Amino acid sequence: MLSSILQVLILGLALGGVYALMASGLTLIFGVMRIVNLAHPIMIIAGAFVAYWLFRLYGLDPILAMPIAAAVLFVIGIVLYKLIFEKEAANAKYSEMTVLLTFAVALCADGLLGALFSNTQRVTTPAYGTDAFIFGTIFIPKGQAYAGAISLLVIGTLLAFLNFTRFGAAIRATTQNRAAAQLMGVNVGRVSLITFGIGIALAGAAGALVSFIFSFFPAKHWEWIAILMSLVVLGGMGKLMGAILGAFLLSVIAAFVGTYFGSTWSTMTFFLALFVILLVRPQGLLGDKIEEA
Amino acid sequence: MPELLEVRNAVAGYGSGPAILNGADLDVAPGEIQCIIGPNGAGKSTLMKAITGLLPIRSGEIRLMGERIDRLRPDQILKKGIAFVPQERALFPKMTVRENLRMGGYTIRDEAELKRHIDDVLDRFPILRERAGQHAGTMSGGQQQMLAMARTLIVRPKIVMLDEPSLGLAPMIVQQMFDIMRQLRDSGMTVLLVEQNAVVGLKNADRGTVLDLGRTLFSGPAEDILKDPRVRELYLGKAAA
Repeated sequence: MLSSILQVLILGLALGGVYALMASGLTLIFGVMRIVNLAHPIMIIAGAFVAYWLFRLYGLDPILAMPIAAAVLFVIGIVLYKLIFEKEAANAKYSEMTVLLTFAVALCADGLLGALFSNTQRVTTPAYGTDAFIFGTIFIPKGQAYAGAISLLVIGTLLAFLNFTRFGAAIRATTQNRAAAQLMGVNVGRVSLITFGIGIALAGAAGALVSFIFSFFPAKHWEWIAILMSLVVLGGMGKLMGAILGAFLLSVIAAFVGTYFGSTWSTMTFFLALFVILLVRPQGLLGDKIEEA
Repeated sequence: MPELLEVRNAVAGYGSGPAILNGADLDVAPGEIQCIIGPNGAGKSTLMKAITGLLPIRSGEIRLMGERIDRLRPDQILKKGIAFVPQERALFPKMTVRENLRMGGYTIRDEAELKRHIDDVLDRFPILRERAGQHAGTMSGGQQQMLAMARTLIVRPKIVMLDEPSLGLAPMIVQQMFDIMRQLRDSGMTVLLVEQNAVVGLKNADRGTVLDLGRTLFSGPAEDILKDPRVRELYLGKAAA
């Protein structure tokens, strides 16, 4: 019984790391620009496709392909921001507008990826994808273990960047008070552009890892929108530490629910959590109290 | 003496709404404390935001030492030498006092220079040195105002602009704030402030400018404006004048 609980806990934590990476870009972008990026999951899928094709065509390990996927998605993020969001930043209804705009981006990207690669289920298959670490009665799939560990490494690098670099301080300042950051000499337009690029690059990095732990296809992102939203809303929109906490918490809970009640209920855990947190504590676990308008 | 800052016929408003500034003028001389007064809705804070680039003007001109700055971004205007403490103080509540001060020196790239500037400012505000590790959001109103003012001094600006610095502060703290402003002026800095409490503002200023309905009514030595019946009329209505 105890080893069974430990087994589920370890699997939940390993996946939690990947979910945290998937959600980190989403919450970073919301924190700085108040963009609710509904296109974030399709960017993860795009990153997964980059890793998949690099593996299929050149035999490149998806973990080694991760920086390439991140770089490709960074460029896509910069282009998207320049084309769409930079103009909308002056709009008084900016946040509401971005929901519609990112929804449109998600639809277009979904259609484009579907047309290019079809909606066939795919998975990258490195050798470790079907191997496992075994400790007595406990087994940990190597793919999940590697993906979880690398996700934590990437998140650690991101946190170090945000906390110990000049540009990271500018991002944190812009998140806390955009006008004040401007008054300190921060070019918030540039901070927004680069942060959007970084956020989408994180989606690309997560996609490369996702490519060998889940099967994926373009339309899969609709399912992930709700999952990612539940993680960031639980932690507190725009709070990076909150997203990480939310990811681990919900991943572990979902793992237990999946084990004891079936996989359908495992996915439902995320949706129910999103519903309950919005009703009970809409600011999330680490969010500030939402002011009455 | 040539003006340090000149605003000519500035028109500005929020979004596509009506203009709040309707041709405001302002002249600020180097090394003075100037106080802008006017009733609610006169456009005082809007004028401050227009000067700092937070609210682009629709027409008119703003010049710093003769150079037009009205098409620049706030970060570019700061680099030209204008620092601003808005009414809400605009601190970073989740950052410590030291981190807030470091953000104040964001445009200083040389680390040794930045540390020196922060040390100089902490010498002027010893309470902030004691609380260097405290989050700004947990400080009292007076301490927050001190931090907000201290933070603008890190870059050693030509002009420090303060919007309602006395708002919500105890009289003793307000007096401390004005003492610091006088010290700044005596060290060669220029201070431009907006005050809803006209008497307090003008008593502590060298010069005053009176705004109403987005236009400059008149300006002159602060003590003259204090005695001017038009000011009394503006604040209390014609019957009281």
